[in-house]
Amino acid sequence: MSAVVEIQAPPPAPRAATSWRHRVSTVIPWAGWLCLAVLLVIPAAGSSRYIVYLGTLIALQAALATSLNIVMGYAGQFAMSHAAFYGFGAYASALLVTSVGLNFWVAVPLAMLGAGMVAALVGYPALRYTGGVHLALITFAFGELARLVAANWHSLTGGPMGMRVMYAPAPLFGFGFSSAKGLYWLAVGMLLVCLLVTVVIQRSRFGRGLVAVREDETLASFLGINVVGYKVAAYVISSMLAAMIGCAYAPIMNFISPDLLSAHETISLIGVLILGGIGTVAGPILGTIVFFGIPEMLRVARVYRLVVLGVVIVVVVLFMPKGLAGVARERLARWRRSLE
Amino acid sequence: MDLIQTLLDGLMVGGLYATVAIGITLVFGIMGILNFAHGQMLMLGAYTAFFVVTAGLGFWPALLIAMIAMGALGLLLERIVFRFTLTDHMQGLTASLGLIMVIENLAAAAFTPDHRTFEPPLPGSFQLGPLTLSSQRMLVLALVVVLVVACYLFLQKTRIGKAIRAMGQNRTGAALVGIQTSQVTAVVFVLGSAMAGAAGVLYGSLFAITPYMAAAPLMKGFILTVLGGLGSVPGAVLAGFLLGVAESLGSRYLSASFRDGYGFILMIIALLYFPRGLFGARGKVRV
Repeated sequence: MSAVVEIQAPPPAPRAATSWRHRVSTVIPWAGWLCLAVLLVIPAAGSSRYIVYLGTLIALQAALATSLNIVMGYAGQFAMSHAAFYGFGAYASALLVTSVGLNFWVAVPLAMLGAGMVAALVGYPALRYTGGVHLALITFAFGELARLVAANWHSLTGGPMGMRVMYAPAPLFGFGFSSAKGLYWLAVGMLLVCLLVTVVIQRSRFGRGLVAVREDETLASFLGINVVGYKVAAYVISSMLAAMIGCAYAPIMNFISPDLLSAHETISLIGVLILGGIGTVAGPILGTIVFFGIPEMLRVARVYRLVVLGVVIVVVVLFMPKGLAGVARERLARWRRSLE
Repeated sequence: MDLIQTLLDGLMVGGLYATVAIGITLVFGIMGILNFAHGQMLMLGAYTAFFVVTAGLGFWPALLIAMIAMGALGLLLERIVFRFTLTDHMQGLTASLGLIMVIENLAAAAFTPDHRTFEPPLPGSFQLGPLTLSSQRMLVLALVVVLVVACYLFLQKTRIGKAIRAMGQNRTGAALVGIQTSQVTAVVFVLGSAMAGAAGVLYGSLFAITPYMAAAPLMKGFILTVLGGLGSVPGAVLAGFLLGVAESLGSRYLSASFRDGYGFILMIIALLYFPRGLFGARGKVRV
């Protein structure tokens, strides 16, 4: 009994806790945000078209990885359909804008709504069971089916050759998106929205519930968490964000093809997540910069870049399953503990 | 007559799907590794057959060489990658995704993305009463049946087959009664990979071979593992034939362009109403 009492009364924090080193350790996450802000401003401040283009691509990929992180990292469910929803968003918004004549900013929520409904239809049957294997199987099949539909529905999607789209999103609050830099800020905006959603989820009751589900579904259900509902919600949110990012893809690339939906896109996103650190805020961004930024600068041929990517995935899974951000977070936590 | 022709066609395609699904089921059901790179092994098997047949050695040696080569590749992968991921489904799955990128892109670089075909051993067709049957398709159907029966007998009648089934039921229990789980795991992986190689040769004898051919058969294989009940070999085979017939009937009488969608709808229905699949022994917990 006395042992319990001792645990309940922790020793008072030593004076050293307020030392400069302790302060440094609390500042590090904020330094990460600052680095991100600087990185985001660099392309816009410079005058190189190439850097702006590269920045746009990296921002899009980082946004995709961040949104996939919600279902894979926090809820721990293996969704292989992310690229399918990305492509869905691109096709849906492009068709709504060019064929129906809607405003871009009306098309985005419509595309997201459609994606959310499809995700709920696909996700619910698979997520009723524990283990996550069903979702991996069903979403892989769904992604492949979506690609086949996009490739074969000639009258709507232009078939396997893809379709050319030429439009810029309408100005929003007086901010134009027709220039390369405007499109860069569009991509950055998508990234920031995804980050915001992630941070809000992480700090909410919902996010803590998701982590509980990830760690132990049975235990989570004992705690009164609606396990199936939480998992489906995470999958739907993640897929809707993917569709939103897809909406930005069409005006940026001016070209959509069914290749956008292929499983390889999802696989490389999963690689990015694993490398960067799954279930962390910084992980998807770190992973994207390493995966896409560095090889792009080195100018390695695409084929070998993907081979290297594959090798990196296998090696990281075997030797560093927590990824870069996961390892950094662990080190930081250990350092903090050693200070106290 | 039209109906019978369509049914036979469906059985042939379904047999091919079943061959893919058996490999996945063996590896997944017994080792718990969801190997997405299974499709890439199928692709490599098809290429092996293409090169052996073009070298003038003929179809039968090609089938044998492809099975041995893929078995060896499976052994290699099991030893350097998958034996370390046995404790975690998701880890093995992710590793296999990395392998997909490595194998597929190297294959595209080495073999070029051109479509390849090789001369099937039995070209032409023959008449059976009012039916016109493609000889090669019938040969493929016969080979599939032989492979399935051989696999079944191996699992049911041999000592090592018994060990494999024991491990499928309970890994720890199997280790306790003296089964060398590490070696049996390797055997299962080799067997599954050899099945992928065989399926690749059969695919290649009917359809074009490209470095990117893996996704469609893999998708069908996954649908079948769910339909048949995760980890059940007879379930996967039966589901394979059913799916083939359903696709064939559907594309003949409903809509041919939606061919690949029927399996997906079947899978959704199965997950909603028969979550254990046809013969699923492995009970899934619902919370």
